[in-house]
Amino acid sequence: MEGTAVAISEILRYLIIHWKCETAGVSKKALLEGQLVISTEAFTSKHHANVLHCVTTITSGRSNYDGLGNKKFVKEVQSILSRLSAKLTWSYKDASGSPDTSGSSFQMMFEVDEKPRTLRTDGLAVKNFLRRIIVVHPKITFHFSVKVNGALAKETIRAENEPIFNLPNGIALIINEPRYVRPTFGATEFLCSRIHPVPGQPVTLSIPDDVAGMGLLGELILMPVAALCSCLEASSNQMDRISSVSMFLYGPSGLPLLLPGQRQPTTVFTDPSCFIDWKKYDWCVTPHLDFNLDGDLVLPDMRCQAKSCEGRLSQDVAPQGQTLLLFIFVDFHSGFPAQQMELWGAHTLLASHLNAILLENQRGIRGSVQMAVDQALEQQQHAAKARQKLQASHTVAVDSILSVVSGSTSSSFRRGCLQALQAADTQEFGTKLHNAFKEITQHRFPYHCSCEIRQQLPSEKTARSHMEARRSHSPEHLSETTERANSKRRKGGVEETRAYSSTPSAPGSSDRAAREQQGRVRAPSSAGPGSGLEVAEEGGRGMGLACSYVGSLYVWKSELPRDHPAVIKRRFTSVLVVSSLSPLCVLLWRELTGIQVRGAGQRQGRAAHREQN
Amino acid sequence: MAFAPAGPAASFFEALDRHRAALRAALRRGGEAPARGVTSRASSSEVLASIENIIQGIVASLASSEAPVFMMDNRSSWENIKFEDSVGLQMVSHCTTRKIKSDSPKSVQNFALILKVLSMIYRLVQSNTYATKRDIYYTNSQLFGTQTVVDNLINDISCMLKVPRRSLHILSTSKGLVAGNLSFTEEDGTRVSCTGCSTAVAVPSNIQGLRNVITDAKFLLIVEKDATFQRLLDDQFCSKMSPCIMVTGKGVPDLNTRLLVKKLWDLFHLPLFTLVDADPHGIEIMCIYKYGSLSMAFEAHNLTVPAMRWLGLLPSDIQRLNVPQNTLIPLTKRDQMKLDSILKRPYVTCQPFWRKEMEIMAASKMKAEIQALTFLSPDYLSRVYLPNKLKFGGWI
Repeated sequence: MEGTAVAISEILRYLIIHWKCETAGVSKKALLEGQLVISTEAFTSKHHANVLHCVTTITSGRSNYDGLGNKKFVKEVQSILSRLSAKLTWSYKDASGSPDTSGSSFQMMFEVDEKPRTLRTDGLAVKNFLRRIIVVHPKITFHFSVKVNGALAKETIRAENEPIFNLPNGIALIINEPRYVRPTFGATEFLCSRIHPVPGQPVTLSIPDDVAGMGLLGELILMPVAALCSCLEASSNQMDRISSVSMFLYGPSGLPLLLPGQRQPTTVFTDPSCFIDWKKYDWCVTPHLDFNLDGDLVLPDMRCQAKSCEGRLSQDVAPQGQTLLLFIFVDFHSGFPAQQMELWGAHTLLASHLNAILLENQRGIRGSVQMAVDQALEQQQHAAKARQKLQASHTVAVDSILSVVSGSTSSSFRRGCLQALQAADTQEFGTKLHNAFKEITQHRFPYHCSCEIRQQLPSEKTARSHMEARRSHSPEHLSETTERANSKRRKGGVEETRAYSSTPSAPGSSDRAAREQQGRVRAPSSAGPGSGLEVAEEGGRGMGLACSYVGSLYVWKSELPRDHPAVIKRRFTSVLVVSSLSPLCVLLWRELTGIQVRGAGQRQGRAAHREQN
Repeated sequence: MAFAPAGPAASFFEALDRHRAALRAALRRGGEAPARGVTSRASSSEVLASIENIIQGIVASLASSEAPVFMMDNRSSWENIKFEDSVGLQMVSHCTTRKIKSDSPKSVQNFALILKVLSMIYRLVQSNTYATKRDIYYTNSQLFGTQTVVDNLINDISCMLKVPRRSLHILSTSKGLVAGNLSFTEEDGTRVSCTGCSTAVAVPSNIQGLRNVITDAKFLLIVEKDATFQRLLDDQFCSKMSPCIMVTGKGVPDLNTRLLVKKLWDLFHLPLFTLVDADPHGIEIMCIYKYGSLSMAFEAHNLTVPAMRWLGLLPSDIQRLNVPQNTLIPLTKRDQMKLDSILKRPYVTCQPFWRKEMEIMAASKMKAEIQALTFLSPDYLSRVYLPNKLKFGGWI
């Protein structure tokens, strides 16, 4: 993989970090959203027949780009590009002067010469990178297009109303299983197309001295998330058989830590025992570095093959094992450093020193990962047990129905039953009954994911409305602008971008509507902490406490009248318990929501510290 | 009757006869016995049809790929109960229901078991054979787990199909005993006579099939506890008070005992009396005979005998007879709670005397077993207490 992919990823990372900083004031729970257009155009070069001349454009359709053209960043990207002897131009169209801000966009462009083969692998690597981002930022949409000598390949990468799991650190994770594993053959009996992530305990990472010297400041926190794929019914007898382990590594603000080009696996990744003591599960894990970039799965940073240690002797490698997904999120303790550029730099720094940091904290990480994996396995077993119970019961039910139907002397009843399921004889009727029962459980198996469904419902709803709004308005707009830009570039070369940025914006009415909607949606949260939404939320929590106080008066089921001494005594006790627990709840909320009092103080303190330096 | 035991003089039964006449008069005023036997005997074909209906409903909902559900009347809430003085506790017509779903891991087992028992009942009714509850449990004891599960399932099904258990061709081994002036022919032709034996006869398991029931009894005494029952038998109470019948349900009565009492009442309109401990538990058992229980309210009119009276041991008797204080037992917390809950039940309002007795118990915070009377004299119960009560109408 060559520099193009790295450059694109680097630029994307930069843009997304910038977005993130922009919305930093907004409530922590809001998901990052936006659109990015990446288009590469390649022509066969005039000088060499075997080389393609590629022009890559990255366009972001969002307002407010102060400081986007940061010098350090430009220098950095240019240094990457210079290896490819490419040149970067960037343009920024500011429409803030005009009453309508919808026209502003930011565009970066660079040109390189590449071999056709490299271009192909680069494209795949970029696509995977985009997918990796989508998994944790489900509201970002990428339009990725490659045009080689006029032949256009276009792909929109985004989350399509997929279920989301909100992790405690504020990151949303898509839990749609087909994103991670390919459905196995004969897997028509999937009960649940979701993964069920289990977040582990966050671990504070201590940074080794030599790394700290390099300018990596702040406290790092690592959070592992484990999930099992493939709730295969058929393999209930080999419930905890895991055939492979996939690891995904995410850096601050939920971006892939390793860039497509940096696939020099650190020793942590070549030695899978860094994260878990596999022997505990009797697994033998061997790294598996064959990455197939084709296909539309999200590719992990590392994949291992797991075999049961005894199984190795008998050599029975069933392909239908489960896949353990391990997401590892590394982030700074209190949000991110004050300066976005530092964060961007930190990403690169972190990636290069990750090995040392992880090795330093191996013990804590292991414990946390192990706990998450244990829980995931346990959850799986519970689910399997519930499923078995369901199956056994359904078998009994089917047998009973069959015995009634086959033993009945009433021909109209028999006919009615057989006709309802369109069965010719009782044998077929039996199998159809079985299938029908299977189907209903498949349709809405309550499972343990019920809790997650509840958790994700509100966010999913808003997400859907956003997406619908976007789908109805935005795509034309973006394709329009890119088309315009492309045509201009073709006409006049690089200088013309300036002209593009100064053209008076003439957005369509639909476009404006989309903007307005976005503005409206964001309005309540943009007022920062203490805005109406959060006040209502906190008020709700207070209300909850009050309700639990009153409710505690009534938890005792008793026939005694309410002024009986025993009742009064009991009520006093329960009120006492609730009263003594409520401060704990307040503390807990403060901890969970990362409330402003302490966090802001720390951030300010750090900023002050930096200024002194 | 050559060996008919010589009972007490005819004047002894004056109060009883008056009571009996009053009961009959009341019955006549209230019209014929309320809806007797109308719903009690669902024919086999009806049962089969209703089971087929249920199965068809399940198949239909499966065909439209919906999870089949059993709707059950909620039998554990007082809200679904109405009280009628002439019948007792009854299910209201529009009662709340509970769903037994087939797609939730919690209730799916129950769902399957109901279907399983339904299919067994179907077979039984089809082949016109009978099985006991224990039989059903043993057909697949691993699946059912415990006998109580089966008992509950059968009650549920009986309630769901609105058919008495007997019509489901399910029997249970009777727990109760009967003794005294009574003879009948069981369904299989066996002639049973309780008259003149000093031992009791088990309550037959097929009450509906009893024929040729003959008795001259002046009254029927229901005894709560088997111990007291045996004691009275030993004391020759039946022959001394002859002609009479004694029944015990050995604690909380089973269906057969209640059915027998109901049948005897329906046939002969005997005065019925209960002898229970003077504690909340005893009162509750008496209420079950008289007004029925919460969980079997759906079949109340086949089971309850509101004409029953409380003969003893009344809490007021404890004070009146000067029963020594050391034989009394203080009420425990659970007793208190039970007493409170009984006092809140709908039927207490139409029994002001009962209410008074219970209030006496609540005030004294003491309870007494029937055996407390033996401290007065060993055969005080059979020689003094009961005869006097019967003679002078000491029931409420």
